[in-house]
Amino acid sequence: MTGHLSMDQLIALRDGDRSEPGMDGALQHFAACSHCQSELERLHQRTARLRALPSLAPSTNEFPAVHARITVARRSQSRAATSIGLAIAATAVFAVITRDIVHPKRLDAEQLLRTEISQSQQLEEKLHAWNPDQRVINGRTAIVVIQLENKIADLDAQIAAMAKVQQPDARIENELKLWRQRVGLMNALVDVHLTKAGNVGL
Amino acid sequence: MDAMSLPDADAVIARARLGDPVALEALYRAYSTPVYNLSRRICRTTEDAEDILQETFFEVCRSIRNYRGDGSIWGWIRSVASSKALMRLRRNKYRDTDELNDDIAPARSASHALRMDLESAMERLSDTARAVVWLHDVEGYTHEEIAGQMGKTVSFSKSQLARAHTRLRSWLGEEALA
Repeated sequence: MTGHLSMDQLIALRDGDRSEPGMDGALQHFAACSHCQSELERLHQRTARLRALPSLAPSTNEFPAVHARITVARRSQSRAATSIGLAIAATAVFAVITRDIVHPKRLDAEQLLRTEISQSQQLEEKLHAWNPDQRVINGRTAIVVIQLENKIADLDAQIAAMAKVQQPDARIENELKLWRQRVGLMNALVDVHLTKAGNVGL
Repeated sequence: MDAMSLPDADAVIARARLGDPVALEALYRAYSTPVYNLSRRICRTTEDAEDILQETFFEVCRSIRNYRGDGSIWGWIRSVASSKALMRLRRNKYRDTDELNDDIAPARSASHALRMDLESAMERLSDTARAVVWLHDVEGYTHEEIAGQMGKTVSFSKSQLARAHTRLRSWLGEEALA
């Protein structure tokens, strides 16, 4: 072989890789060449220095954000299903109402309730389309998201409990109040995700 | 790494697989620094490294049920982290410093006998070359594994490593007279 070993050959020697072309000749040359022996030694030293570089530590604790994203991922699926279930339960009360001799005020409340439920579902769809569990968020956002998720879960439990109330008048008024709160919280949740979260595009 | 960083690792992993947040946080505390270090050494900015750290542990928490225990937990977490880091490099498409390396660095080194420290020289490498050097020479990945993660060939990984070392040698002022 002519000339000294290439960097590919030096690395192959370092790594004990005999598959590199011309390695037999390279080994013969290496045994007799002090220049290549020095080059390999420098390669070893450079690698050792790389491995000895100081370990870099994160300045922030990302776990709260990780935990929030896991919670969002779990809840967004169950919340969407719950929301549909609650909406179906709400429409049951309309059927009861329309069976009765309907008071105009009750019809207004029914219409308002339908509107709130529809808005809530639109916000669920908007959040779903945003795909929040695939996006990086910061620690402060994570805390707000968890708080909002908890409040929405509490409201959903209250709305579900409301379905057991038999008196349509009492039920529809209270249900309207709860769905309004739900829409407010969903709005806040969508706002937090869309304005605060950073997209990692994964 | 495993035994030192995570005492009672098997029990912690078993609880983490059940979704226990305390166990998941224990995993985070044990491995966040090596994950961050790997991410920061491959990517250029602390912001990217922090994002990769969060992405990695989000994936770990979500997928730990799929971890079979046939390799070390650190090996598994590290493969998630390196995959996320390489994905981030592809997404960012940072300006490739190869052009800078080829055009400017030789002139500087000739006129000023420039000697960089190792960290600066690593920063100066192209994203791909830096990732290959770190994954192969420090993390111990094989060229086959790197090629698989990058979607490239083994010879691509090998040539990136050789070119990178040639440049590092030059920038560090280690070239010997033949």
